[in-house]
Formats: sequence, structure tokens, C-alpha cells
Amino acid sequence: MTATMTQCLLRLVEEHHTLADYQGDVVPRWCAGCGDNAILAAMQRLCRDEQLPPEKTVFVSGIGCSSRLPHYMHAYGFHGVHGRALPVAEGVRLRRPDLHIFVTTGDGDCCSIGAAHWIHAIRYNMNMTVLLHDNQIYGLTKKQVSPTSPRGLKSNTTPRGAYLNPLNPLTVTLGVSNVSFVAQAVDWIPDLLYDIIAEAHRHHGLGFVRILQRCPEFMDHRFDEAVRDPSKTRILVHGDGLRLKPELSRIYHNKEVHDPLDMPRALAIAALEDEIPVGILYKNPAVPCYEDVREAERPNTPDLIRTVLDEEFDKVTIWPDEQEPPAAAE
Amino acid sequence: MSTQVKEVGAGAAKHRQARQSKSDSTPRSRPALLLDENIIEIVSDSGEGAQRCGQSFAAIAARMGNGIWTVQIIPAEIQPPHRSIAGASGNRVRIAAHRVTNGGDEADLVVAFNEQVLLGRLRAGEIRPGGIILLESMWRDDKDPEIAAAYARVCEEVRSAGYRLYEVPMEAECVKHVPDPRRGKNMFALGMLCGIYSLDVELARSQVRFVFAKKDPKIIDANIELLDAGRAWAEANLDLKFAIPATRPKEPQVVMNGNAALALGVVASGMEVCSMYPITPATSASHYLSDIFDKVGCVVHQAEDEIAACTFAIGASYAGKCAVTITSGPGLSLKQEALGLAVMGEIPLVVVDVQRGGPSTGQPTKPEQSDLLAACFGGHGDAPKVVMAVSSIEDCFYSLITARKIAETFNMVVVVLSDASLATAQQPFPRPSFSEGWLAPPVDQSAVPEGAKPYDWDPQTGIAARFIPGQPGGMHCLTGLAHDRFSHVAYDPAVNQEGIRQRARKLATLQATLKTPPLYGGEEGELLLIGWGSTRGAIEEAVDMLRGKKKRVSSMHLKFLQPMASGIGEVMRRFDKVMTVENNWSDTLDDEIADKQSQRFTNLGWLLRAHYLVDVTCWGQVRGQPMKPGAVVEAALTRLGRK
Amino acid sequence: MDQSSTPLAETKTAAAAAADAGASRPALFALYGTLEGLRYDYPLVLVEGEAPVLRPLTGIMDDILRRTAPPGTDGEALRQHVLRLEHAIRRRVARGERDSLASLWWRCAAELLAASGEAPFGPLDTDLDRAREALNVDGLVIDCDANAPEEVLVHAWKAVYAAKGKAFRKKVDGLILRLTDILKAEFMKSDAARTPQALELSIGSSFGSDFDFGALSRVLSHGSAHTPALDARQERIQRVLQVLKSQRFYPPGRSSERKPGQPNPHNFIFESCAEALDAFRERLDEIVDFVKALVIAELEIANKYRADLHDPVFEAFDESDLSAEQLALLPSSLVCLRDGTTDTADTVRAFEALASGLPIKVLIQTDDIVGDTSPEPSRTAFGVGSAHFAGMAMGLNNAYVLQASSALLCRVRERLIAGMSHDGPALFSVFSGAVKTASHVSPYLMAAAASEARAFPTFAYDPAAGPDWAARFDLSENPQAEADWPTHRLEYEDEALQRQAEDVAFTYADFVAADRRYGRYCRPVARADWRDDMVPAADCLMLAQAGEGYVLTAGADNALYRNVIDDKIIEAARRCLDAWRRLQELAGINNSHAIRLVAREKAAWQAQAAAATPEPASAETAEAAPAVTPAQPAAPAAAAAPEEPQETAEHAEAAGQSDDAYIETARCTTCNECTQINNCLFAYNENQQAYIADPDAGTFRELVEAAESCQVSIIHPGKPRNPDEPNLAELIARAEPFN
Repeated sequence: MTATMTQCLLRLVEEHHTLADYQGDVVPRWCAGCGDNAILAAMQRLCRDEQLPPEKTVFVSGIGCSSRLPHYMHAYGFHGVHGRALPVAEGVRLRRPDLHIFVTTGDGDCCSIGAAHWIHAIRYNMNMTVLLHDNQIYGLTKKQVSPTSPRGLKSNTTPRGAYLNPLNPLTVTLGVSNVSFVAQAVDWIPDLLYDIIAEAHRHHGLGFVRILQRCPEFMDHRFDEAVRDPSKTRILVHGDGLRLKPELSRIYHNKEVHDPLDMPRALAIAALEDEIPVGILYKNPAVPCYEDVREAERPNTPDLIRTVLDEEFDKVTIWPDEQEPPAAAE
Repeated sequence: MSTQVKEVGAGAAKHRQARQSKSDSTPRSRPALLLDENIIEIVSDSGEGAQRCGQSFAAIAARMGNGIWTVQIIPAEIQPPHRSIAGASGNRVRIAAHRVTNGGDEADLVVAFNEQVLLGRLRAGEIRPGGIILLESMWRDDKDPEIAAAYARVCEEVRSAGYRLYEVPMEAECVKHVPDPRRGKNMFALGMLCGIYSLDVELARSQVRFVFAKKDPKIIDANIELLDAGRAWAEANLDLKFAIPATRPKEPQVVMNGNAALALGVVASGMEVCSMYPITPATSASHYLSDIFDKVGCVVHQAEDEIAACTFAIGASYAGKCAVTITSGPGLSLKQEALGLAVMGEIPLVVVDVQRGGPSTGQPTKPEQSDLLAACFGGHGDAPKVVMAVSSIEDCFYSLITARKIAETFNMVVVVLSDASLATAQQPFPRPSFSEGWLAPPVDQSAVPEGAKPYDWDPQTGIAARFIPGQPGGMHCLTGLAHDRFSHVAYDPAVNQEGIRQRARKLATLQATLKTPPLYGGEEGELLLIGWGSTRGAIEEAVDMLRGKKKRVSSMHLKFLQPMASGIGEVMRRFDKVMTVENNWSDTLDDEIADKQSQRFTNLGWLLRAHYLVDVTCWGQVRGQPMKPGAVVEAALTRLGRK
Repeated sequence: MDQSSTPLAETKTAAAAAADAGASRPALFALYGTLEGLRYDYPLVLVEGEAPVLRPLTGIMDDILRRTAPPGTDGEALRQHVLRLEHAIRRRVARGERDSLASLWWRCAAELLAASGEAPFGPLDTDLDRAREALNVDGLVIDCDANAPEEVLVHAWKAVYAAKGKAFRKKVDGLILRLTDILKAEFMKSDAARTPQALELSIGSSFGSDFDFGALSRVLSHGSAHTPALDARQERIQRVLQVLKSQRFYPPGRSSERKPGQPNPHNFIFESCAEALDAFRERLDEIVDFVKALVIAELEIANKYRADLHDPVFEAFDESDLSAEQLALLPSSLVCLRDGTTDTADTVRAFEALASGLPIKVLIQTDDIVGDTSPEPSRTAFGVGSAHFAGMAMGLNNAYVLQASSALLCRVRERLIAGMSHDGPALFSVFSGAVKTASHVSPYLMAAAASEARAFPTFAYDPAAGPDWAARFDLSENPQAEADWPTHRLEYEDEALQRQAEDVAFTYADFVAADRRYGRYCRPVARADWRDDMVPAADCLMLAQAGEGYVLTAGADNALYRNVIDDKIIEAARRCLDAWRRLQELAGINNSHAIRLVAREKAAWQAQAAAATPEPASAETAEAAPAVTPAQPAAPAAAAAPEEPQETAEHAEAAGQSDDAYIETARCTTCNECTQINNCLFAYNENQQAYIADPDAGTFRELVEAAESCQVSIIHPGKPRNPDEPNLAELIARAEPFN
């Protein structure tokens, strides 16, 4: 209502933020060639283009290479314990509709130790953007298999090769009730990475973006084929989804027009083995957000608290003779 | 509302014309025997309403001005088989002419709906030898010969054991008034008890009206009728007539159990988020809170697991007002890593642990006090937390307000320890009058001063103002890694040591503001009993008894376990002997294998001995029962070297 | 009027007595002689609290039964008992009792129980209790009489007022809380918050004795020097709080701060439009101040109030700054006018009020829609004029208009609420049916008849619903809206006791014939004297053919008559039909423009077809039809696959052939490989993506090495710029794959 007028007046005092304003005073400590750099760059671009106020932006992470990202942003950050980024972010969101919340997590953090929270976070569908940096390996602890590591991968805990088929974060996420936004990006196509994160951010609900990310240290050449041969990447385009820039569509001819509301097709795409789908697999803005469902009927003023406490006490009060018991008592 | 009232009248009239009520027949009055106090138990199969009967009985007595304490008798299983020894469900009510602080020792009078549940209580040694037993007699001529036989056997056993057994045709009497006696027996029993203990008739009726307030007026009328019938029957057919002097309270009092008090405390503390995961016996607090928290625009969040419950609360605290998570032993263990994060990040957080029997699943419904050390030292690394314990129902309410204030003042984790006995016990306490000072401070969104650092530890106190998201200029990355004043990750040895020193210093600072706990009994003497938590009432009552026996015994009760108030060491040295009294385990030297070297002490025993280098001995029990004054007296006398 | 299957002759009519007075009733009425026996929209429950705010008693009872009574015979007893109760309640209400559903329920239930002689807890008692527990609504129960329209309108207005109040308080109390928090947060940082007394108040009483508050105070006051916020801001916030807290538009809620001497909220229900308009003018300053406070509050909470920029704005703030959205927060006013009682002057003011665009809701209740002397509306009678009020009001640009007889009020309840919630003014024109001169027919029937007969059609005009008439205007609540008159099947027995049936149109004439005042324009003709040249009124209106128009009526003897009507009535009926058709056109029924257009096109096409040979003509049409369809899917497809201009492609090609080193910056993944080799040669642009900053800032070797180490191979070294660089041949060879 008055928003209209208030917004004009707010514009009077708007200060403009450059990309540098979002760069933390700590220099990134990721290896050269690490895909996380691309994600960080895209993240900072987004903050600048959306002009998110740094003090109103929170980056929550768990433990792992990916989870260092909050340290490299100039915003509020929460670098917590292994696997628990999502419940922390949910707690932040519950009473703070005014904040922009991003969660950066990894394949170990999200899909292994934090798997329970991952499933339920999708179900709560609280308004936040979740970036799953999936390099398919434990990097910070020096090369152990993660749930998304390809079968047969030789690591320090699987010297004779990983025993099991990898878990597919996309199909899992799409399978959870209340899922409202699932996308996949790759760090080596920065423009699409940016577009997809931006879409996830604009989505009201939990925007889940799995980002295939190169780890030159422990998974070198894992994605070389995909990087070199554009035909291995299937770009999902749609009027209500991704639109491909000309220079990119010159390189990537393998395109599919996919309606983000088409769940059966989304599941099929998510399950693709030989190609890497990039784009928005599913988007349904109609799914309610937990924090909206739990929104208070009225503000919790001291007067309200006093009123309610008195009502509750009245139910169990023993009144001395001289005092009148209130209506509730009898 | 007005229509409701009208209807009560109309309904009542309807019933008077509907049938002749027996309640008007005036019973021959017998002079009542004056008593100082009495312990009454009423037990039945679960679902027969003994709980409601006991609570109403206590409430009526309390409204008359008697001191009361009720203890819930909870069957182990949710749906125990009917007429089973383990299935006893009901209430113990201790009524006295004076204030009561615990459930006492053995019951003087028991009302049992069947002989099996009675047997349960007898076997548990809960009934005074020679005590009075009122037993539903319908089973004597039950269709099933086995039942009839079992009933006869028990009656025989009880009589020969010297109990005063009265067989009461409760059901037979109830049928005269309502179609389904099973649904009214408890009110008949309530009537009997009111008769026996000469409780105020009108108060009793109004209590029934209150209990059934939400129900149809007819139901109320029917139950009042049963109440009157019970009273009339008792006065006509029993040679039992007692009176316990009461003095109407000057101030309004509230009656509730510990968990309800905890829930109301959360509301009164101004906290806005409680995230929890279901666990016995803590959950009933969350049940009640869920009912009322929405009304004040706040949220109870049932998380997917204990860890999420804790981290969710941490997230909420980090971005807003201090949050609370409520749990019991196993939950506390699961939360420990996250608590470490809160300590490291200096995020205020209140954790309530309603203790139960452990380890592992232990005795979920039974009281024990064995989480103290876990609360103080449970996590990995050095994670200083504040640990408090509640020692009365009133404490349960105020502890949340206090804990929240400490948590937010010092940016620390505060663990509040309650236990299963307080959770379900009821006791009146002065009706709190709300003060705005109780409420959490608002979430500060003002710009932080130029050059302020996120961890600007004050050199004397170790306290640093916290920056909350939304505060311009406060941007920083909170981390569970070792960090400097800028919250920058630092592996530099000096920085790590600095951080740990500052976080530990806050405990010392808090300690400097705590007063030495008062002594109960004398300022010095032969024996000092030290306890914490729910055992307070029993211990102090024991002290009274002992001093009655001219023993120079005193007690001290600790509300703060970490840090412990200053001066405790000095106090202990004023006594010849010091003994802790707790509901947790300590080896006794009677075991041949155990000796001074191998002996394990009670939780508090460890702390006191370590802190004050005093040779504190420990007495503990883990019987899954509330502490009993008699037991404490016994232990004290033994310690004093009688026998 | 769907009950027409009961044979007429059998119907026992309560109105028969009245009929002796010489009035005859339209045949179709005869079926509704005893309304008490029927389950229809009245009695109406004005539901307190939740929507829908109007519910027929029958609806509530059916709902209860659906939830409590098991299907089939098991539930039969319960159903019977509840229906008995409903009947008892209806009887009391018909006797003019006004009370809440709850208390009527209690009384009737007790009454039934007493009458039944059953014991408490007996079947009847238990059933009624079960039903009672399922009863989840309460409210005043009203019957369809002269007061119904006002009672319903006031109730609807109050419901909307309450809903708006809830939203308003949530917003305003929220702002108050957050402004107070700003002040409190400053206070908490001051030393005043750290005095021993203050600290003692913040600790739970039973722990008070455990603390040394002096010590605590000393500890906390240590260090942490704090500069309190600017007094100017504090004052401004105080002022705003003052305004927000003392608002008088809505009563305080549970979250609101209650001060003893607080003045009551303003009244918004007025006797006359003049009052309503004056009140608005009086309160204008209050409104301006309040809205101003709202905006300032929002700026403060966003931490964005800058005195230098914003102070001047708010200095100049006046009523011209009020927007519709802001006014929508505030309550609307309600004015209830009634023909006969209200003087014409004020009715004229009603137009002023409606035209003002202010949120004023006007009820105009009409009790009589035909003239006293003749069905011809007499120019003077306000009453009759008021019937046309709604039609006129649609001319005002943003007024919401709803016309309905009280018989249909419940069915148009959504429209009612929409009108009350409408941001601008609204007019509700209601015919009560309580015609003094037709007392032998119940108001409900009169009202229903007026709607049926098109004498008082039901329609709604919602200016907010869309850009055109199709979206804004709704006629659908009228029976058989596409027809001139609704027709119903009438069944009766002739003297031979043979069941007869015919379809009878219910016309304006039938409606008027019910009015005792026009007895003189009608001539009842008994069956024996029916002649073939008698024409049903409806036909008589259509074809101007000669013959006597008649309407079928039921006489006092409850026999069927042809009531031959005078031309005066026919004339009036024609005018009524004309008005009805105009409405139909507005609703798009028989739109004359459209009809003409179609006719013209058709003619043109036929001419064409005549000229050309049949085949191509048919082919042409064959194409014409599908030609439209493919466009539909085409549109989204176009959106889905965005167009790709070619020129950029060529441009890129050009770059590809050049000899200069270049980077496909758009594809750079910010991996730092190249910048680590030489951060003068390579640099990041504003998007943190690499480009060649200065080709001369580094060697060709560095270019080649960078190209080799680049993960995504987007660095193209081109040709060396410095021919003297060592080992060029080898480097050029290595550069080859990247150029």
C-alpha cells in the first residue's frame, strides 16, 4: 500500500554497490582452477546486479571447500558445523523475511552428513537459495569418495575404486514433496551459472541449484569431455526459464525446450546418463513456504504477551476470598 | 457465553425434574479427626480418569488453602493391559496444613479401581503399613471366575498384611446416576475423598464445573451429581472422617506442573522461537507451548531431528532474539556438537534438559539427575556453558526468564536442568505478575559504531557485543573455526589461546555476580547436605526431621552448577561432614571391589571435590522415583554414624 | 420456483384467507402458500466471525447433518431429530423472534425434549447434543421482512470492517512494535538499562536472591561506551508513535496498547449521506497525519530516513498525497436510505456521495416498485424512482453497483462483500418485498416474484473487475437470463381430476396481478368461460396480435382462473421488458451491435460466395477456420526458444581470424590461472572475468602458457607482437591449437 510512496522515498537514499563492495577482505584460498572461483564470481555479480544490501544478505554454509564461500563475501556469513547449514539457514529465515539468504554446501556436506536436513529443507520450502557445489569428491579432507563420486573412482578410502553407484541429487530433490525449484548449472559456463543462480534467487521458495564443479586437485579432467565437447551439454531453455545468449547458442546446439512445470520430463532429464542437463528442471512458485504458513496472526507486542499470560494464569489461579475470580475461572 | 450460563441453569432444572437426586439426603455427621497432613493415592487402569480425580482433589484442597504436592503415577506403556500390576495410572496427592515441597514417603490412603493396580503400588512399597485402602468391589462377583478369585486373593493378602481395607461398590452406586459408570467413577471417588477429608462442598462443585467447562452443561450436572453421591455415600457408609486445617492464601496462587511452568516461562521471557524434537519427558512442555505460543505470534518448530532442532534454534538466535530448544538426556547428547558452535560463535541460546533415567533409552518416564556432567562438559573441546537447575515448580517458570537474560547478556549457551519428577508434579506458587523487564531486548538493527569489531572482547569481562544481520557495518563471517576479533579464521597460536581465554572468562565474570547460596538449618554443624534440582523439598524436609531429632544437620541447594557461586568452599569447611544427595549413581564403599581409588562419585560430588578439595561423600539413588525425605533422613543418619 | 410439481389443487394455502379480500394470487404462488413448511433461503443467519457471513439456516443444518449423520438408515433418526429442531426454530423466527442461533437452539431443543417426554441422555437429547457439538457458527437469525435488507447490509459492512481492522492492526501494531524496538534497543545500550534496579527487574523473581545486582551492574557497565542515537530521530519516532497509537479508525486489538482514557473509535454508519460527507471532511486532517506517520515509520524501520532529504517531503505532505491504496486501509462509511422514510433531497446527496469517489456505501431500500394508482410509474413517487437508481449509478465511473431483491441477498453474498470491500463508493439497491398493499403475500414471495418478473432484476457492476462491460457487468443471477421471461411448468388438476400441465411464463403482468391495488385492471375468468382468443400475457406482449391478454391466477377458492388484464398493465409490462432487454445487451445477450455486424458480414460473405464457385468458397472457409489455431501454440514456442541475431556471430568470427591475442571473456570461469601468470597482461573485468588488459604487458610465452593452462581453453594467443622474443618458432607451434 504505502509501499509505493515509501519506495520512491527510499530511492532518494539508495546507494549504489559495485562488485567490489561484495568482495570480502579475505582473499579466496581455493586452488587455482577450482570451480568454486567461478561460483563466487557469479555470486558477486548477482549481488551487484540485484543491488542486495550487504547488511541484509546472509551466506550460510557447513564444512568443506564450498563452505568457505561466506568468508569471501562482504556480507553476513555463518560458517557452521558439518552438514547443518540448512537448519541454521531455516532458523535465520523463520523470523527474518527481510534477509536474502544463500546456502553454500557441498556433496559431502549436503548429500552425506546433512542428508536428513537436505530432504526436510526441500519439504519446508523456506525462501532461500541453496547452491550445492558438487565436485563429487571430499577435497578439504584430501580425496575420499563422496555420495556423488562415480563408481570405480579410486580415492584414499576406495583404493580399489568406489563400490557403489553415485547418488543423483537432482532425482532425489525432485522426489521430495513440496519441492519448488530445481536447477543444474556447471561452473565452466559462467553466464548460465549466473542466469540460473539469479533465477533461483528470484524464486520465492527454496531454490535448489546443483552446480557441477571441477576440482583440479583431486578430480582433474573429470569434466574435460563435457568442457571440450558442447554437444555433451543439454541446455534447457524456456520462455519461463532460461534464455540463451546468442554467443552461447552458437556454441551449444544441444538444446531442449523444457517447461519447468513438467515434472515427469524433469525427472527424465535429471536421470540422463550420457549428457549433462543445464538449466531449470522444475519451478513451481505456487508451493507454499513454511515461514509464510507459520506467519504470526498478530505482532508479539508486550501487551499481547501480557494478555495471553494472564489468560493462561486465570485458568489455574486460586483466588483469595476478597478477590474476584475472573470469568474464565468458573 | 451468556447462553452457556443460562443453559447450566436450564440443564440443572431438567435433571432435577428428570429424577430424584440422592445428593440432598443429609448424611449423619461424624466428628472429624484433625490431621497435620496426609498422602492420598488414587490409581486405576489408564483411561478410567484417576489422574483427573487426583488433580481435582488436589486443586480443591489447594483452593481451600492447604499445602499440596501432586505426583503423577504413570504406567510404563501407553496402553497397558487392563487390570495389570504395571498398568497403575493415577495420582499421589500430599495435602498438609502447611506448605508442601515434595511428594513425601508412603501413602496413608489409597483409592484403587481394581486390585491389580493396588497390588502394583503395594509391591513398589508406596503404601504405609496399616494404611487405608478403598477398593472397587465389583470384581468380587465378576463373571470371570479367575478375576473374582484374584480379587479375593488380594483382599485376603491385604487384610492379613494389616491394611484397613474397605470394599466400595463404586460402579454399583454410579449406575444409579449415569448410563455409563466407567465414565463417571472418578467423580464418585472424588466425592468420597471430599467427604472423607471434609473438603468444601461448593468449592468441589465449582472445581468440577471448571474441569468440564468446555463440555455440555448436562455433563457438568451429571458429574456434580456423582460428586455429591460419592460424598453422601462415604459419609453414610464409612467410619472415616478427617480434616486438615487450611488457611486461605492472601495472594492469588497458580497451580500447575513443572513442564507447564516451563512453557509459560518461555512465553514470559520474550523468546520467539522454540525448536524441538519429541522426547519424553520433555515433550509435554512443548505440547503446552505449541498451544499458547502461536497466540503471542511466536513459533514452536518441530524439527526433523535433535541436531536440526538445536541448529535451527542457533540460526534463529544468530539472526534475532535468543531462542530455546527443549529436550531430554539423549537429545542433549545429540546437540553437543552444535552447542560447541554456539559457544565458539558466542551465540546466545537456552537449552532445557528435562532429565530422565539413562544412559541410552534408560527409563524415559522416570526421574533421574545424571546429565549434570554432560551439561557442563559434554561437548568436545573446551566449551564453557552456563548450567542452572530448577528446584521447584516456581523455578521452572522463572528459570527461562533468567536463563534468557544471562544468555543474551553474556552471549553464552545456558543449560537449564529440570527432571521428570518436576515435569509432572503440581504445586501452587504465587501468581506471577508480568514485567516488561522479563522480555528479550529487541533485535538491534542500528548501524554498528565505526571501527567496532564482531568480537571486541572486553579485557576484564570477556563480553563482546554481538552483531546481528541487518545491522549496517556489522558484516562479518561467523565461524566455528578459531578466529580473531574480526572473526577471521586464524591458526595463529596466540589468537587461539586468546579466544579460549575470553570465552572462559565470561564464566568467571558471571560467577562474580552470584551470591553464596543460603543454608537451610544452621550456619554450621555436624553434617551439610548439598543437593541440586528437584530434590530440594525432600532434602529440606529431611533436615527439619533430623533437627527435630536434635541432629546438627543443614542443607545447601545449588541453582547454579556452572559457574558455582563463590563462598561455597568456606561454607563446607564449617561442617564436620559434607554429603551430596542426588538422584544419580555413586559407588558405595560397601561393595568389596570398590575403594577410595576406584570410587565413582555422584555428578555433583565430582564437581565439589574437584572445585574445593573437600572430601565430599556422596549419597545417590537411581530408583526412578522422586527423592523421599525418609530416605534422605536414613542416609544422613548413616553418614552421621548411627546404627 | 422449482417446487411446481405439487398439484395445485392439493396445496393447502394459508393465504387463502387473505384471498377472500378479493385479491387473487399468480398461479405459481399458490404452491408457496405456507412458507413455514418449506426449506428456503430464510431464516437467514448473520454469521459472526468467519465467512461466509450469510448462511441460510437450512444450509447450516444440512452441513451439520453431513458431518454427524451416518449415511443410510443409521443416520435417519438423527436427521429427523435435527430437522424437527430446524422446523421449531423456523416457527419461532416466523413469529418474529430475534435471537442468536445458539440461544434459539437451546430453547427449541429444551422445548422439543419437554414435548417428547423423553428422559435426558435419551435418543433425542443425545442426537441434538451431537448435532450441537458440530454447530460451529453463531449469529443473529432473521426472517425476510421489511428490516431484512438493512440488517443484512449492516452485517456485511461490519464483517468487512472487522476484516479490514484485523489487517490494519496487524500492520500498524507491527510498525508500532518495531518503532518502539528502535527506541528500546538504544535504551538497552544505555547505562540506564544496567542499573542494579533495572537488572533486578529483568531476572526471574525466584532467582533474584541468587544475584548480586550491584556486582552485575558494575560488570556490565564496564567498557562498551555507547553513543546514544540522535535526539532528533528519537523525537521523530516518538511523534510518529503518538499518531499511530492514537488512531481512531479501528478499535484496539489484542496486540494493541490500551490506555485508560483512550477515545472511542469514530462511527462510520450514518443516517444520511450529508453526515457521511461532512464526517469525512472533518476527519481529513487526521487521515493525512496518520498516512504521513505510516510512511515515516516504514522509512525509519528500513533505517533509511535521511532528514535532509525527507523532512521537506513531509513538510509539504497533504491530502493530495493520499493514494487509493492508503485510503483502502481505512474503514468505509455506510449510509442506509429507505424510500418513504428518507426525504428526496438526501437521496440526491447520495449521488454526490457516490460521485465523490470516496469509500461511502449506500443502501437504498425500496418497499414498493410500482405506482399507487397504476403500474405506470408516477413521475413524483420517489419509491418508484429509487428502483431505477442502480441503473443510473452505473453511469458513475468508479461506483460499485449491486441490485437485488431481499429474496436473493443470500445468493449474492459474495457480490455484497465485494461491494463493501470495494475501494471506492458502492450502491446497493434492494427491494424488500414488504409491499403494504400486498400483505396477503409474504415479503419473500413478493421479492422473489419481482426478481422473477424482471420487475426488479438482479445485477452487479464492478468497476474494478476489468476493463470492459463483459468483465464488469453480471446478470447471471436472474432465472433464465437469456430469455425475455422465465417459464415454469405448472401442474394442476382439472374438474375431471385429470392432471394437467402447461409451461407458463412469469411476466411483469403476473407480478402486478398479485397486487390488490390493481384488482380493477384485472378480470378473473373461470375455466368454464375460457375462450380461444385469450392469449397468455407473454405472447400478447410479443406479437402485437389482437386478443385479450391474461395471466393465470389462483382464486380464493384455490381454483385456476384466467385473469384477463387491461392494456395499462400490458403497456407497463412492455416498458419492463424493454428495460430488461437493455440490461441483457449490457450483459452481451442479444447485443444489437453484434447482431447487426454478424448480419452484415453474413450478407457480404453470401454475396462473395454467390460470385465465386462453391469449391473455393468452401476451401476458403476451411482455411479461414484453422488459420487462427496454429497461432496459439506458436506464441509460447517463440517465447521458449529465444531468437538469435546472426550479426554478433559474424563479428565473433572476425575476431577469430585476427592476429591479436584475445579471450572469450564470457566463458571465463575466474579460475585465476592466467592472472597468476601475469596480472598486467591478464585482468578481470567488472564481472570478475578475464580479458587481455595490455598485450604489451607480457611475453608471447606467457600468452601461450596461459592458453595451455586455461581450464576452458578460451585464451587465443594470436601471433607474437615482438618478433625478437626467443624461441618464437616453438611458441607459435604451441599456440597453433589455440588460435
